[in-house]
Amino acid sequence: MPSSSDSAVDQQPLTKLPAAPWSRQLSLASAPAYAAALESACLSIGALVVALVLFGIFVAVGGHDPLAVYGALYLGAFGTRFSIEGALTQASPIILTALCTAVPARVGLLVIGGEGALVLGGLCAVLCATASAGAPGWIGALVALLGGTCAGAAWIGAVGALKQWRGVNETISSLLLNYIAIALFNHLISGPIRDFSQTLKATSWPVPPAFGIGSIPGWSVHWGLVIGIGLCIVLFVVLRYTTLGFSMDILGGNRRAAQVAGLPIGRLLIVACLIGGGAAGLAGAIEVLAVHGAASESLIVGFGYTGILVAFLARQNPLAVIPVALLVGGISASGGLLQRRFDMPDATTQVLEGLIFICVLASSAFAGRIRWLAR
Amino acid sequence: MTASGIGWYGVALAIIGGALRVSTPYLFVSLGEVLTEKSGRVNLGLEGILLMGAMTGFAVGSLSGSPWLGVLAAGGAGALLGLLHAGICNLPRVNDIAVGIALFLFGMGLAFYLGKPFIAPRAAMLPALQLGAWSNEPAVRAALEISPLFLIGIALAIALRWGLANTRWGLVLRMAGESADAARALGYSVNAIRTLATMCGGFLGGIGGAFLSLYYPGNWNEGLSSGQGLMAIALVIFARWNPLRCLWASLLFGGASALGPALQTVGVTSGYYLYSAAPYVLTLALLVYSSSTRHTLAGAPSELSISR
Amino acid sequence: MNDIVQPPPCVEVRDLSKRFGSVQALCDASVRFAPGRVHALLGENGAGKSTLVKCIMGYYRADSGMIRVDGVAQAIRSPQQSRALGLGMVYQHFTLVSQMSVAENLVLGRARIPARIDWKAEHRALTEFMRTMPFRLDPARRVASLSAGEKQKLEILKQLYLGRRFLVLDEPTSVLTPDEADQVLSEMRALAERGTLTVVLITHKFREVMRFAQDVTVMRGGRILATAEAASTSIDELARRMFGQATVTTAANEARAGVPAGAYCEVRDLGAHGDRGTLAVVDTSFAVRSGEILAIAGVSGNGQKELVEVLAGQRDAADGAILVAGHAYRRTRSQMQRYGVFVLTEEPLANDCVRSLSVMANLALRRYDRPPIAWHGWVRRRVLRRWAEELIARYRIRTSSPLARIDSLSGGNVQRTVLARELSEDLRLLILQNPCFGLDAAAAAEIHAQIAKARDRGVAVLLVSEDLDEVLELADRIVVMSGGRIVHEVGRAQADRYELGRHMTRTSEAEAA
Repeated sequence: MPSSSDSAVDQQPLTKLPAAPWSRQLSLASAPAYAAALESACLSIGALVVALVLFGIFVAVGGHDPLAVYGALYLGAFGTRFSIEGALTQASPIILTALCTAVPARVGLLVIGGEGALVLGGLCAVLCATASAGAPGWIGALVALLGGTCAGAAWIGAVGALKQWRGVNETISSLLLNYIAIALFNHLISGPIRDFSQTLKATSWPVPPAFGIGSIPGWSVHWGLVIGIGLCIVLFVVLRYTTLGFSMDILGGNRRAAQVAGLPIGRLLIVACLIGGGAAGLAGAIEVLAVHGAASESLIVGFGYTGILVAFLARQNPLAVIPVALLVGGISASGGLLQRRFDMPDATTQVLEGLIFICVLASSAFAGRIRWLAR
Repeated sequence: MTASGIGWYGVALAIIGGALRVSTPYLFVSLGEVLTEKSGRVNLGLEGILLMGAMTGFAVGSLSGSPWLGVLAAGGAGALLGLLHAGICNLPRVNDIAVGIALFLFGMGLAFYLGKPFIAPRAAMLPALQLGAWSNEPAVRAALEISPLFLIGIALAIALRWGLANTRWGLVLRMAGESADAARALGYSVNAIRTLATMCGGFLGGIGGAFLSLYYPGNWNEGLSSGQGLMAIALVIFARWNPLRCLWASLLFGGASALGPALQTVGVTSGYYLYSAAPYVLTLALLVYSSSTRHTLAGAPSELSISR
Repeated sequence: MNDIVQPPPCVEVRDLSKRFGSVQALCDASVRFAPGRVHALLGENGAGKSTLVKCIMGYYRADSGMIRVDGVAQAIRSPQQSRALGLGMVYQHFTLVSQMSVAENLVLGRARIPARIDWKAEHRALTEFMRTMPFRLDPARRVASLSAGEKQKLEILKQLYLGRRFLVLDEPTSVLTPDEADQVLSEMRALAERGTLTVVLITHKFREVMRFAQDVTVMRGGRILATAEAASTSIDELARRMFGQATVTTAANEARAGVPAGAYCEVRDLGAHGDRGTLAVVDTSFAVRSGEILAIAGVSGNGQKELVEVLAGQRDAADGAILVAGHAYRRTRSQMQRYGVFVLTEEPLANDCVRSLSVMANLALRRYDRPPIAWHGWVRRRVLRRWAEELIARYRIRTSSPLARIDSLSGGNVQRTVLARELSEDLRLLILQNPCFGLDAAAAAEIHAQIAKARDRGVAVLLVSEDLDEVLELADRIVVMSGGRIVHEVGRAQADRYELGRHMTRTSEAEAA
């Protein structure tokens, strides 16, 4: 065949993909092409650096020494054993809520319902724990964790089902479900399942202490972190090395190609939502069993929304979620130190997280533009 | 018996009063979102804009002593955040919904950061119009105490409804939202139109925030907003992208939000939180009812990412 | 506002040429469009009709040659410039904003829109304008509520409203019913005869040329073959020029061992809706036997795309049934694998590839969940890679690595990748749609040979093609699809190119008669 035989074809304009417009940028990391993975990592790190520089300018305008603030940020996040433990504790729920956005993203859905699924997971864990009171510790804990997982899975699974059968936009419905879940949660803990011996704030019945999740020996970090990391690794392997993951990548990349391949599209959408929701529900159950010992307002602190940031920064890759969640958890944990040392507001870390999020999104505009990576 | 009669009468009054009071921020954010979405973009970050507006309005109001200056500054802050949203969305391959979520987190963080010194002081409040002065009933008077911003909002809803249909700007804006290709073919810059629309939407969202901090509840703290900005997007779907229907929807949502507190005044406390979820359940039910896998939402601009 | 008495412009092109890469899309084309006449541009897909008018309208710049408007040479660099000269074009796809009213759409097109629009006055002016027009539309109606024919009329009205007196109609009847088409075209003819308009009609339907055009120019392969008065020519002569002489006879059709028995795939009374919600496929029935190529010939836009989408699982049928190997075919993955159903369409990157995934992943689209690649739910990457490398070598797919993204490949190599995937060993039914669309002759010949080889080993092949040469080269049996229906069936031995060409445009003639 003559070497110029394809040049006529090169002139053909590329046709638009009918898939969700943002799914292309997300599924980069799932491509087996390592260049694409490298590019994603470069873009994310670049975005992180830009966000840190912008943040430095921001605090400098506020009259602080940016270098000192960076130093404190590091110290507060990873500088001491104590701060590392704080970062790890923060990261534990964030890892799981990030999966609530990252897994559905693999089939082309933008789900932001992690907060609601987490809250319901916590609630259901309390109910299950109460119901199995008297059982041996590990059984009770298992039942509570499973209950929380199922509640979250059902909640986000409904989002997928509504999308498939009614065409309801998954972003909007999951956002609305967040508020409904929180209202349901507040209703129950302030009345039907309230522990009236707690007068300071509305708190549910306590979980039997025997069901609590303990700490990793030698650390003041609970086992929930290990569960989260384990789940990330399992999901990474499943999504990358199994036929299920392959099917999801096809669906997320091009719905028409999935149809040609005869894939069960509805089932895949719902399975992805069930996994994501289950992870967020598990996060709620772990928070209740390991940290709070009951369901209360302290569960609603925005872990679900931070998870969305982590999922995007990790480019929807479950394995990348782990370090990114540690990083973001560290940033969140260092808020206290910034407050003490520089008298900065505790929202400082929120500003930084917002900046990172914005820079990460802007960086996706440069995907495929980095020439030296394309070799 | 009489007591309960007055009680239930009081509940109705409290709901009406609440609707008139609470609906104003809903009205402003939903009008802002209508403007943005009519141009073909979704701004999910109005919650961040609302909080920035609340903080800026309060800060400028308390520093300058003029609440109206605060309202203006709040609008300006909102427009700036709108510009940020539009600027990033103008880049290729960037998803506007994700940018909205980022803006929500960023605006919230920024508002809490910059607003921290203002948590203690009180600013000069916006005046209220006593439309209930004719009545001897204090409950009636309280219910009919109305903010001038509410009246401005009503005027704005009418003006927007008219302007979208009867001006060049309205026509071009709608074209950008219905068919970007058609707009481009006629030589308009779709990005420029959408940027302007998002900025105007941000301006209105900021004013909605200023209402919260300068009128009702009339202070600045981190728990000020109860998600009015996030509700905007649901409200707009509910109102089917019509500014006038936004007014009715805002009153309805305001009334629904006032249901819980109003019932509390007569001793019905049990379902407080469930009532507060009424607007969300209402919107979700409407969404499920009106969506279909075959066609897009009725009234939705065709270029909108949530309607495709 | 619009000077209706001003005569339409006279447009003339001289020696216009345009090249895209290695393809000479237009070659020394010279033609004069006389004012006040309907001039048909006749030719098959890819004959250069669109390139010619797009050069005139300023969408392309010709490599050489000259365009004269009213005797003055014009360098038309942009669509805006051609609009200013009073030249307008009505496209196959509509450029209207469907959620707006007729009046809003007309006003939006104006160069100057008043800041405040007085709709009462505008409606009055529009009603006045409509009165001078051959067809009228209520200015208050929403475009979405208009029928396809009314939309086409609105597109034409818009051009006239904006003062354009030289109108190019690009396949105007491809979206219209025969009645609507007749009405629109006869009104255009009437307007031209009143001397208010010049019309250029891009078409490949002889009937339209004979009935509505005064002049006709036949194009093929980027060249203008002839220009004549429509009255002085005949359909047969036009067909001979348009389809040319059959030049290709290949070995593909030799050495066929006996006709195999029994239909492998049977389509019964199939109906399907198109994107606009109207029926695009109507009561279509046919059967494909193992070891034969059944070709569906037809002009683009007559339901073939929808038919293939239904068979491929991308569109749901409105009614009818599909049977494969005697069983109801539900287009699930397990059925596709059990019955060996494979699909190859035009634009594979959009239709059956995942752009963001690698060549290897796209090759494995149908095989990844079966042994030896799959092992108890796991994808064995090393086996997959070896398998993919083998296919890449066998089908000579030019790629930097099996892991390169599929959209980094050239169009021909994308097509080869899909071919390698679909022509697998367990293939028993192959559905093809314009498989060589956009490929050069060498690549096309290679693909044709592969298709013939598949047929020879007993595969049932359904070839849906707009290319009559391809159909005649490959098919054992030919059916013609027109207006969403099967209108003609003939064996290869009896098939005649002109006869087929006439059947491809038959529905409209039958219904007009």
